[in-house]
Amino acid sequence: MAKQKITSSSTAEYFSKNLQQVGFSSPTKAVLTTLKEAIDNSLDACEDEGILPELYIEVEKVGSGTIKNTDLVRIKVEDNGPGLNIEDVPKVFGEYLASSKFGRGRCSRGQQGIGISAATTWAQLTSAKGARVITKTKAMRQAVSCLVEVDVKNNKGNIKDKKSINWDRPHGVSVEFVLDGRIQLQGEGGLITYLTGTALVNPHLNLHYKLLDQPKVKVSRVSEKSPDVPLAVEPHPHTMKLGEFIAHSHLFGKSTISTFLKKGFSRISDSTFQVLVKNGLEKRLLNQAVDKTTDVQFKAVFSAIHKTELMAPSTRSVMIIGEETFSKSIRRLGEVDFFAVVTRKPTICDFKPVVVEVAIARLKMAIKVEGDDSPPSQVLRFANRVPLQFDKSACAMVKAIETVNWRAYGISQPKGSLPLGPYVIAVSLVSPFIKFKNASKETVDASDELVEEIRRTLIQAGQRLSRHIRKEHREADLEEKIRHIEQFCPILVDCLCRITKAPDKRKKAATEGLLKLLGRDVNTAKKHLDEAVKHHKEAHAKGKIQIIEKEEARDKKSEVESEEDLKPSHPENSEGIDESDEPKVKAKSVSGEKAKAKKKADSKTKEKVKEKTV
Amino acid sequence: MRDDDIPKLSRELCNKMLADLENARRPVLEAIKCSLDNSRYNPKVGYLTPGDKRVRSELNVASVQKMSRSIFILEILLRNIETGAVNTKRELYYIAKGEVRHSPELRALDFTDQSESDSIIDFICEMMECYREDLNCYANDRGGQTYSNQLVVTELLSDGTKAVVDLSSLGTSPFQPKNRPQSLTLKAKKKIDFCLVVESEGTANTFVTNGFCKRNNSILLGAQGVPSNAVRGWCKLIQDQLKVPIYFFGDLDAYTLQNIFRTLKAGSAASLIRNSDFSAPDVRFLGVLPEDIKKYDLTDYPVKENDIQEARALKKASDALKNDPFFRDKKNKGLSRILEWLLKNKRRCEQQSFFTVDPRDPIMPEKIIVEKIKRGDFI
Repeated sequence: MAKQKITSSSTAEYFSKNLQQVGFSSPTKAVLTTLKEAIDNSLDACEDEGILPELYIEVEKVGSGTIKNTDLVRIKVEDNGPGLNIEDVPKVFGEYLASSKFGRGRCSRGQQGIGISAATTWAQLTSAKGARVITKTKAMRQAVSCLVEVDVKNNKGNIKDKKSINWDRPHGVSVEFVLDGRIQLQGEGGLITYLTGTALVNPHLNLHYKLLDQPKVKVSRVSEKSPDVPLAVEPHPHTMKLGEFIAHSHLFGKSTISTFLKKGFSRISDSTFQVLVKNGLEKRLLNQAVDKTTDVQFKAVFSAIHKTELMAPSTRSVMIIGEETFSKSIRRLGEVDFFAVVTRKPTICDFKPVVVEVAIARLKMAIKVEGDDSPPSQVLRFANRVPLQFDKSACAMVKAIETVNWRAYGISQPKGSLPLGPYVIAVSLVSPFIKFKNASKETVDASDELVEEIRRTLIQAGQRLSRHIRKEHREADLEEKIRHIEQFCPILVDCLCRITKAPDKRKKAATEGLLKLLGRDVNTAKKHLDEAVKHHKEAHAKGKIQIIEKEEARDKKSEVESEEDLKPSHPENSEGIDESDEPKVKAKSVSGEKAKAKKKADSKTKEKVKEKTV
Repeated sequence: MRDDDIPKLSRELCNKMLADLENARRPVLEAIKCSLDNSRYNPKVGYLTPGDKRVRSELNVASVQKMSRSIFILEILLRNIETGAVNTKRELYYIAKGEVRHSPELRALDFTDQSESDSIIDFICEMMECYREDLNCYANDRGGQTYSNQLVVTELLSDGTKAVVDLSSLGTSPFQPKNRPQSLTLKAKKKIDFCLVVESEGTANTFVTNGFCKRNNSILLGAQGVPSNAVRGWCKLIQDQLKVPIYFFGDLDAYTLQNIFRTLKAGSAASLIRNSDFSAPDVRFLGVLPEDIKKYDLTDYPVKENDIQEARALKKASDALKNDPFFRDKKNKGLSRILEWLLKNKRRCEQQSFFTVDPRDPIMPEKIIVEKIKRGDFI
């Protein structure tokens, strides 16, 4: 073997050479990832302090990029969060793995402290300038403006050009990057898709954005309540590997093993120790100091814990959007015809607490393209309220959508694929430990348990939707039948009479007989429609399905509805997937338009059948 | 079926429907189900026959359109039979459209494309258990161009006169058989040893030009791919009236074996009601056989994975081995073995590869064919 010099690299050096691993694999992704990381940080900061977030975003081209086929892009994100102390600024924007959230066991968007530093590195590599940051906390009289750069060799942030400035905000952070990239607005990796998704799962967010030379857009919040940030929970011992277990013990120094286990983990109590001893663990080990424990002894403790059955991890640490808020938020997607929202109870998947929320909406503008020829439904994926935009085919959420039989709910679907039609299917997954497939957090690992949990949520939402769709189908069916009777009956009888040279008397008798026959079919169709309407009314009265009235949907300003109009779905229904056995509640209101159509069809049938029979 | 039976049967059917309607009963149209799952194969009969399955169409709101369209087209066909006019399916499609244009009250019956009117015509045939030719609806007489120095054909024309065609007097021009073989009578001037059906019409033409019919007392005809009704009926006629052995010479691939040879020998699932007149069960598969590749050192090549047609034919071959009563029958074991060979080896060999055996001898393929017939080297 040749004698080669072994060198060691800093974390920053590693990431600066492997930025593709954290979402900077193409110029388009670079712009989106930078924006995403900045917004994630802002939202997390606001939520930690219970502030209703107000975000101002600007993305524009300011010249040509240094990389072939790229533009020089300026991305600015400004928030009304608590602001950063100036000593924290280089750590946040210029140092890798410097995070207040790492391994905390909370449902925050950011986790490791890589993303925003990677954005600074990309800006530095492509435009030779780091991030321009303005920060102001409540305690500061003036804001501080500075340029943060990453010291790649030492994994440290350096501050340059620091000055005090007057800023008309009471507190907050503004960060601006100038970097090489390409701006894509629509589609899977589009900025508008990302911002729309972010608004959907953050109902408490006021979002102002200006992209390129498009007019400014304001998305108003639909909830005035900042989400309750759940407390962090200690890790569950069954989710750890031996190495992690030993590393975790180092935080407990001279404490005893029993204290370490009780304080360092969830679901371990005094009664657990009795079981551990019963299972063969030496009792003296529990009273031994952590720093005196050898690796062999750690292994014995670790194995004993893994052999012992423990309570499943707590679900208190997960944060949900909630059916009520989600219902309000989904109507910001566009002109929604009707929708159903389901929030499942927190559950444990792969030993991690998880909550799945699903919203399915049908967009009005695209209804005409419903059917087998229509394009696949739009899927919006969220992990801890962050939109996921790339590599969707391998994602647990998409896999779950594909395994549901949407045809059963009246939605077209090629076998094993996404359903077709003007639907938006939003799946939100919240967990303090989401298992992503890669560091750039684009795809959630599709474990069987997780896919099944998402699937069950989708099925519940599908069942709710189907009541409305079935009613529509029945209405169309009835109209079609009436039309057929009017059109074909006289033709059939005429043709038969011409071929048989039958006299007028026979023709009249045959016409009457035919109308009697087809009238029976229409009555059956009417009965089916009545049943569908009844089910639909029940679903609507229970708030399981929301119908947007025509006038209401047209007026975008009336996005925020009164509590009565948007009666939330019953959370208790989220337990099982079969809703058929729920108590019947009398209907409150049905869409006026549809009811009129039904009445019209009813009277039309009666008139026609009567007229022809007479 | 006799020509005058159709109008009578149609009127009876319509009369029954009308009577049902007068009594507020639902009229039912019933037809034989023409599909593989309703196909039966008896080696003694030799062709695919229909099983017991029927397609029933009872009048209701959903079927009233199909029923009205069927009676509407039936009326047009009856008019044709009455006047002696004939039409193709395409022409009937336009006639139906013309009727609708001139009578706005018929607008609901309008066909948006030909496949709609075609399926109605097929349904009428299946319902009446007759050929479309019985309804004066003719297909293009494609394929079947025949050469022979011994064959004389007598055609009974619609005006009752007869036309006699001596094929030896046509020179290198072929005789084109009609879709209605019932009107033809065959006679051999001299003993005919065999009839050779060549898959490629071009190759059949080459054989004739190179003197095949001069050297062999034979009938030579080109199938031109999947045999049309004309070719199928013509082969049946040769088999029944002349009682000469018939050999098929074509490519060695799954498509030829299933779509061309099986249709010629035993008919198809889509034409269950007319296979008795449109199949020649005695026809034998002369080649190309798998063993010919080695024996004559023929040029073959692998089936391309990305060729959709070939891939589909192979998939169909594997289905045929499981579901097709023709290939499942013991009598046709030799043919199913070829399909198995094709599936296993994924190679194909074209009929023209016989020209590689001796490139300088233009009649080498003919020599091999005659030798194979003499030796009984066929299936």
